[in-house]
Amino acid sequence: MRVTRLILSMFIMILAAAHARVNAQEVPGPDENIPFLMTFGKEGGVTSWGDDDFSQTFFFALPKDYKDPFYIRVYDPEIGGKTDELNNFWNTRMMYSIYGGKGCYTHPEANGINPRGNYKSGTLLATRTFGMDNKLDERWFTFGPFNPADGEYYPKFQSNIFKIICDGIAGDDGNMYRYALSRRPDTNVPIDGANAFTYEYTFRMWNNNDTSFVSHIYPFIDSGCVWIQTRNFDWDNDGDFTVVSVSRKNHPLKLSGDDVWIESQMPIMEEEIGKSLDFRFYKKRGELVKNNNVVVSVQNQYGENLPFFSAPIGGVPVYKPRIKVIPKK
Amino acid sequence: MRKLIIHIATVLLALTGPVTLLSGQAKGTFEVTHISKISGSSDDMAPVIMNDGILFCSNRKSNPFLTKKNLEGVRLYDLYYAPFNEEGKPVSASRFAPGLVKDANIGPVSLSADGNTLYFTRNLSDGSRQGRRQPNKLGIFTAKRSGSQWSEITPFEFNNPEYNLSYPFVSADGNYLFFCSDMPGGMGRYDIYMCENLDGTWSEPVSLGPEINSSAAEIHPFLHSSGRLYFASDRPGGKGGLDIWSSSLAFGSWTKPLNLEEPINSPSDDFAFYAAQGGMQGFFASNRRNFNDDIYSFASTIIRWSSCDTLQKNSYCYEFIEENALKQDTLRSGSRWEWNFGDGTRAVGITAEHCYAGPGIYDVSLDIVNLITGGIEKRQASYELEITDIEQPVIAAPDTVRAGETLVLNAGATYLPGMKIDRYYWNFGDETVATGLEVSKVYALPGRYNIQLIVSSAPDAGGVVREVCVCRDIEVSVNGN
Repeated sequence: MRVTRLILSMFIMILAAAHARVNAQEVPGPDENIPFLMTFGKEGGVTSWGDDDFSQTFFFALPKDYKDPFYIRVYDPEIGGKTDELNNFWNTRMMYSIYGGKGCYTHPEANGINPRGNYKSGTLLATRTFGMDNKLDERWFTFGPFNPADGEYYPKFQSNIFKIICDGIAGDDGNMYRYALSRRPDTNVPIDGANAFTYEYTFRMWNNNDTSFVSHIYPFIDSGCVWIQTRNFDWDNDGDFTVVSVSRKNHPLKLSGDDVWIESQMPIMEEEIGKSLDFRFYKKRGELVKNNNVVVSVQNQYGENLPFFSAPIGGVPVYKPRIKVIPKK
Repeated sequence: MRKLIIHIATVLLALTGPVTLLSGQAKGTFEVTHISKISGSSDDMAPVIMNDGILFCSNRKSNPFLTKKNLEGVRLYDLYYAPFNEEGKPVSASRFAPGLVKDANIGPVSLSADGNTLYFTRNLSDGSRQGRRQPNKLGIFTAKRSGSQWSEITPFEFNNPEYNLSYPFVSADGNYLFFCSDMPGGMGRYDIYMCENLDGTWSEPVSLGPEINSSAAEIHPFLHSSGRLYFASDRPGGKGGLDIWSSSLAFGSWTKPLNLEEPINSPSDDFAFYAAQGGMQGFFASNRRNFNDDIYSFASTIIRWSSCDTLQKNSYCYEFIEENALKQDTLRSGSRWEWNFGDGTRAVGITAEHCYAGPGIYDVSLDIVNLITGGIEKRQASYELEITDIEQPVIAAPDTVRAGETLVLNAGATYLPGMKIDRYYWNFGDETVATGLEVSKVYALPGRYNIQLIVSSAPDAGGVVREVCVCRDIEVSVNGN
């Protein structure tokens, strides 16, 4: 990941994010229509459940002017109960780790798509491991308070950045969960101008066979981007994957089958630079693909990972048709 | 009638001018001007353009001490020439070729195209008084130019002391000689005849037939370069006295003569129409003022523009393009574009073509159908399309018409917003003109004619008149084909 290439555009992004929706720190975001984030236990290394690496990293960016304590909350952090995915019997342990300080974001191995090397860079601010715990089933657990100054201040972003990693350290069940960045420990109170992003999005699709259930994720297209390559994993051919932007309407890309990756390339138009794309995932009509867990990432022509923002930078892109009328002789 | 007899008894000069075969032609197509500089209390008539002036007949007194009269006491006619002044008006008339006649009437005349042969009418007996019971009939003579003199006076071989031959007119190619006569066998008091030049010898006179001649008198034939024959007649259907009529030779027959509109014809005698090459100006004679025959000039008020915009066809057809979609790989798109053209019609596609019925304001909108969900996103873009006609005069007429058939031309679809139209001028491309919102026209001969419509505004506060012109071609096909 070449962080420097994104510096300028990220700076713009953060500024733009200041105008994003105030509840932007919920992950998945309200514009994404994704029921849960998802991480499986790594035992056996079985990826056919939909998790390619049993780990998920998210970053929270807080505006530099925000000085108050804040909290990172996790919904249904435990493994068991109604929302999680059982594999034989509940045996999974899920570790959440929150990092701040130097290198938590800028370390070259911190912002990739694979949990390798020193991806847990930075200063560990908090960690907790969850197993089956009925008291936290479908409830929020709160980390913090944290001091914004304990994040990695990134001058070009004018933000303090924190990282949260969810690792499936044991077992083989699927953990369904959500995050929220909050001013308060007992309820989700958003922080103006904050945002959340990841470079590899691992999530659960809706259990519905209605094409009107559309999930969205929003990669940001930085300057210099000529084309992108999307990768998705274990989609089970469940529906359609299209791209919408300010100048593109339902451009179809490939969806993967069971336990495989698939790649698609798409040229980027000038109008799409500096804006978000809308990756749309339509559930298949008819036969229900249940408990479909998927992974998505996107790179530019240099192989640099592009971030998915929970609150799309610049807002949800809206395709704007442009009518031209030419008289005929 | 009395006046006609006087004309015939003396020497009649008849010119006829550019006649339009029009109905619906408004008055004022021509402007008529009395040539007061050469018209006085005498009778002046039969102007013929020669060089830079006109040659005409007059019974004016050329000598204050001598008045030439015939035995009935009627003053004799002589030839006069009046050069054009700087304004193109004939002035300062003086006797022309006095050696051509002594004591007789002379005129009208006709000049060969090269100007070296003069055909003229004259009493058969010149200078030798005959008794009252021996009428001195009129005959046709020719004279040759020799420098500034005219000589070799030669009588026409068909002159006859028993009847009159007069009003000669030689065609521009020299192949036909028209004249008038009261010779036996005619249809009326005076008929028009024609001889053909056969290797230097004139053929036997042939009557122009019942299409031209009538039981009345037909005099002053003039064949214009456009092929139209103009003559004067007091036949019924005119505006009074002698009127000027025109006809064209089409497929071996003369078309039904048409009466020239006012102000060329009038309730008085109007005759001797002579048009210049273009047909838009010339001269004629009339006794509309003080019962004297005077010479008048005419000029068309409709000027043929040298350059006129070609009539453009209004098109109400458009191509609609969704520009952003064009950049996409639409063959693989998960959406469908549906156009609503605002007139109740629709089409599908990134681009679409549509033709509207006519001008108007149309609310064009674009729906996008999600092919995955079937959902329709209404009015994703809209465009207010205002269609107006091209700002131009409009000539509404069929593209083709048969010769001899009536062609109706209408300017009602003219679209010139902001212009208060005062008049519609038509120029039919055959040196005929008309005015009016709707006019009709009969082309005698087949061919392609370029029609001009000139639309003129009323003067604005500053007195400025705006004119706009368009033209289009009309194909006139052979009659019966």
